[in-house]
Amino acid sequence: MTAETMTRPVPIRRWKSVFEAYGQEIVILGVIVVLCIGVWLYNPRFLSGNNFLSIFHSNAYIAIAAIGMSLVIISGNIDVSVGSLIGVLGTIAGTMAVNGYPIILCWLVPILIGMVINAGVGVLVAYVRIPSIVVTLGMLSILKGGLISVTGGAWISGMPPEFMIAQFRLFGIPSSVYFMVVLTVLAALWMKYSVFGRTVYAIGGNPEAARVSGIRIQPSIVGVFTIHGLFAGIAAVLFATQLQVIQSTVPPNLELTVITASVVGGVSILGGTGTVIGSTLAAILFAAIGSSLVFLNVSAYWLRAVQGLMILATVLADMARRRRI
Amino acid sequence: MRKTLLLTAALGLTLGVGTAAMADSAWTGGDNLPTNPLACDNTPGEAAAKPYDGGAPTGAPDLKGKKITVVDVPKLIGIGYFNATSKGIADAAKELGNVEAKTDGPTQANIDQQISFIDNYITSGVNGILFAANDPVAIAPVLKKALSKGIHVVGYDANSQPDAREWFVNQAEFNGIAKALIDDMAKEIGEDGQFAIVTSTFTTPNQARWIAEMGAYQAKCHPKMKWLETVEAQEDNNLSFNQATTLINKYGDDLKGIFGMTSVATPASAEAVTQAGKCGKIAVVGLATPNAMKPYVEKDCVKSVVLWNPVDLGYAAMHVLRAVVDGDLKPGAKSVKAGKLGDLQIINGSEVLLGAPTTFTKENIGNFDF
Amino acid sequence: MATMVMNRVLRHESILGVLLVAALVVLAAQSEHFWTTDNLLNQGRLMAEVGLIALPMTFVIVTGGIDLSVGSIFGLCAILLGVFWQNMGMPLPVAMIGALIVGAVAGLGNGFIITRFKVPPLIATLATLALYRGLAEGISQARSVRGYPDWFFVLGQGEVLGVPTQLWLLIVCFAIAAFILGMTTFGRTTYAIGSNEVAARFSGLKVDRAKLLIYGASGLISGLAAVIFVSRVSTTRSDMGTGYELDVITAVVLGGTSIFGGRGTIIGTALGLILMQALKNGLALSGVKGDGTIVVIGAVLIAAILVGNLLSRDGDG
Repeated sequence: MTAETMTRPVPIRRWKSVFEAYGQEIVILGVIVVLCIGVWLYNPRFLSGNNFLSIFHSNAYIAIAAIGMSLVIISGNIDVSVGSLIGVLGTIAGTMAVNGYPIILCWLVPILIGMVINAGVGVLVAYVRIPSIVVTLGMLSILKGGLISVTGGAWISGMPPEFMIAQFRLFGIPSSVYFMVVLTVLAALWMKYSVFGRTVYAIGGNPEAARVSGIRIQPSIVGVFTIHGLFAGIAAVLFATQLQVIQSTVPPNLELTVITASVVGGVSILGGTGTVIGSTLAAILFAAIGSSLVFLNVSAYWLRAVQGLMILATVLADMARRRRI
Repeated sequence: MRKTLLLTAALGLTLGVGTAAMADSAWTGGDNLPTNPLACDNTPGEAAAKPYDGGAPTGAPDLKGKKITVVDVPKLIGIGYFNATSKGIADAAKELGNVEAKTDGPTQANIDQQISFIDNYITSGVNGILFAANDPVAIAPVLKKALSKGIHVVGYDANSQPDAREWFVNQAEFNGIAKALIDDMAKEIGEDGQFAIVTSTFTTPNQARWIAEMGAYQAKCHPKMKWLETVEAQEDNNLSFNQATTLINKYGDDLKGIFGMTSVATPASAEAVTQAGKCGKIAVVGLATPNAMKPYVEKDCVKSVVLWNPVDLGYAAMHVLRAVVDGDLKPGAKSVKAGKLGDLQIINGSEVLLGAPTTFTKENIGNFDF
Repeated sequence: MATMVMNRVLRHESILGVLLVAALVVLAAQSEHFWTTDNLLNQGRLMAEVGLIALPMTFVIVTGGIDLSVGSIFGLCAILLGVFWQNMGMPLPVAMIGALIVGAVAGLGNGFIITRFKVPPLIATLATLALYRGLAEGISQARSVRGYPDWFFVLGQGEVLGVPTQLWLLIVCFAIAAFILGMTTFGRTTYAIGSNEVAARFSGLKVDRAKLLIYGASGLISGLAAVIFVSRVSTTRSDMGTGYELDVITAVVLGGTSIFGGRGTIIGTALGLILMQALKNGLALSGVKGDGTIVVIGAVLIAAILVGNLLSRDGDG
C-alpha cells in the first residue's frame, strides 16, 4: 500500500459501493419519483396529503407480507399460498372480535396460527424435501377451499371499533404506515447484521457451501417460513381491520402481487440477494401506479398491461445492472 | 452507474409516454346495446308483449307433486347478495316441502368454472337447475344440454340466451333500476351535480346494461348532471375501497356523488367516503344489501340504498321452478303464483318480473336482515 | 445410469397409477353416475384444454423452467380470434390460424426474454402473465364476440365416432409429445438442460434454441386450447383462462415431473391430469361442494409428492 493509495479520495468509492449494493432499490425509488412528478404535473391532486397517504395506507399490508416473502425467496424457496393464508387469518381475527374475545387476543392469535401453519410448511420443505412450490401450491387450495367451507361465504361485520388497529391514527397518519416503515427497517437491519439473517442469505446463495460451513440448513428453513408466517399474520390483521367488513373470499391475485413486489424489489428468484427495503419500495410503487392510472384517465383496460410492462422493465434493468457486476 | 441512470430514465420515459398515449380514453362502463329510458315522471313503461321465447326440456319426467332435487349455481358464492338469494331459495324449498335444494358455485365470478359446476350436476341427475349467469352466451351450451336431458332450467338475476332456459326471474327492468338510481342521486346532489361510478368488471353484462340505461335516462331527464368517470373494482371489497378513495382524492370537491353498481362496491364506497371524512358532502347511491349498509345509513352517511329484495328473488325463482315441474306454469301464461309474493307478472315472453325496486332508508333498513 | 433413471421414473408413475386406480374405484362406489361412458367421455371433453397445455408445460418444467403466462396467452388468443374474425373481417379459418400464430409469438416472446436477457422464467412469465392479460383486456375493450357459424362448434361441442372431437386431438397430441420427449434427441436435450444446463451447453447442445422452441410451443398450444374453448362455449371473453396456469402446473407436478428439472414423463402428466379431473368430477358427483373439492386436490398433491419422496429415499441420495 503506497502513500498514494492511502490518500485516494474515499467518498467516491463509498458511493459506488453503496450503489452497487442498493442499485435496485435506488432504481425503484427513482421510478417512483419520476412517476409522482409526472402525474402531479398532469393533476396536482395526486400529491395531495390525502392521496399520498392513502397510497401508503391501503397497500401497507402488502408491503409487510412482502417482507416475509422476501425472506422466503432469499432462502431459495417460494410461497404461493400467502394470499389464501392472509384471507384465513383475517377471517379468524374478525370472527374472534365479533364473538367478544379480548382484543389483544384477536390480534395475536391469528399471528400465532400463521406462524404454526407456515412452520408446518417449512418442515415439509426442509425435512421431507418436498419443493416449496409444490407444498404451497397444495396449501393454497387447502386454505382457499377451507375458508369458504368454514365461513359458508358469509362476510364478517360488526367488529368493535377498538379492534380496528389499521385505522388508528397517530399525528394523522394511520398506524398501518408506521407498521410498514418500522417493520421494514427492523427486518432490513436484522437481515443484514444478525447471524440468522446472514444464514438465510448463505442458504439461498449456495446451499452446499452453507452446509459445508456448518450451517444447519433444515432448522433455518423452518425458521424462515415461521417468520414469514409472522409477517403474514401481521399483514392479515391489518387487512382485516382496514374496512368495516371482511370479505370471506380471498383478494384475487394477492399472492402474485406480493411475490411481484419482492421480485421487483430486487430479491432474486435465484436466491441469495435482495433486501426487504426493495420489496417495500416496490409495493409502494405498485400502489402508486394503480392510483396514477386513475388520475391519468388511462382507460382501466390498460391497467394490467402497464403493470406487466413495469415488472418487465424493472427486471430487465436489474438484469442489465447485474451483468455489470 | 451511468447505464443504470440511463435505464431509469428510459423506464420513466416509457412509462410516461405509454400512459400518456393511453390517457384520456373515456369509458362509461355501459355496453352498446339499444337503450330504452323511461319517462321522467312516474308513468310506468309499457310492458313488451312478446310471444314465449324460452327453451323447453326434452323428455322431462312427470314429477308433479313429487320430491325433486334442485341445484342453484349463482355467479359466485361468498358475497352477501348471493348468500341472500340462496337463503330465499332455501326458504321456498322448506315451505314447499317437496324440494331438496342446494347452492354450489365457484368462488370467483368465472364462467368456465360455473360451466363445470353445472355440468357435474347434470351428470349427477338433478331435476332442476337455478342459475345466475356470468355470461349469457357462454352458459347457453351447457344449459341446453341440461334441457336435452329433461332437466328444468330457470334463471334469476343474470339472464342467459332465452332459448337456453325455460323462464327467467327478472328482479326489475334495467331501465327501472336506472331510473331509481339516477332519480335518487339527483335528489341528493342536485340537478347539476357531478358523479362517478364504481362497477364490477367490464365483462359483467348486468352492470353494463344498467350503466348504459343510466346514461340514457340521465341525458333525457337530468341533462345538467355530469358523469365524471367509471372505475372497475371486480367483486373485491378492498379494491372497491381503494378505487373509491382514489376517485375522492382525484376530484376533490368536484365529486358530489358515487354510484356503487354491485353489492360489494356500494358499502366499500360508503366506507371510503366515511374514512375520507366526507360524510354528507359526497352522496353514495347504489345497489347493496341492507346489512352491509346499516352502519352508514344509521350515521346518515348514506341516505338510501336501492335494491330489490334478493331473498324474495331466490324465493320467487324456486317457486317458478316448482310450478314449471308441476306443469302449473306453461308457455304463454300471463302470470305465475309465487307463494307469499302472490301473482307475479310475466313480461318479454319468458321473464317473470319480481316487482319494483325497493329503496332502503333509515326508517326501514332495520326491518331487513340479509 | 439409465436403469436408475428408469427405476426412479417407474416408481413415481406406478405409485400414481395405483393411486389413480384406487381413486377411481372409491369415486365409482360413491356415485353411480361417475363410471358411465357418458360421464367419462364428457370429462375427457372438459379436460382437453388443461390437458393440451400440460403437454408443453411438461417440457418447460423438465428444463427447470416454468411458464405462468399460459392462462393469459389463452385469454389473448381467445379474444384475438374474435377480433380477427369479426372486427377485421377475416374468414374464420384464417382467424383461427391467426390466433395460433399469436400464441406462438407470445410464447416465443417469453422464450426470448428468458434466453436473451437471462431473466429467470418465474419472473419473466409472471410479467408476461400481466402483460398478455392486459393486452387481451385492452385490445378487446371487454366486448365479447359472438355469433360464430355452426361448423365452428364441431371442434368444441361435436363428436367423432362417439368420442368428443377435442379428446381425439388431445390423444394425438399426447402421443406426439410422448414420442418427442421419450424417444428423440430433442427430448434428451430437454432432460439434459434440466439436469445441468451448464454441462449441456458445454456438451454442444443448442440450449437456447431448444428453450425458444419449448416456450414457443407452450404459447402455440395455449392458443390451440383457446380456440377449442371458444368453440365449446360459443363466445369469447377477455377473462378466459384465468387461473389455468395453476391447474396445469398441478397436473404436471402431480405426474412426477420435478420442479427442479431433469425428471418427468408425459405419461406421468397424463396420469396426473386424469387423477385431477376424476377427483373434481367424482367428488362433485358424490355430493362434496366446490370448496371441499379444492381442499382435497391440494391435499392429494402434497400427499402424492410426500409419498413419492419417502419411498424414493432409499433409491436416491
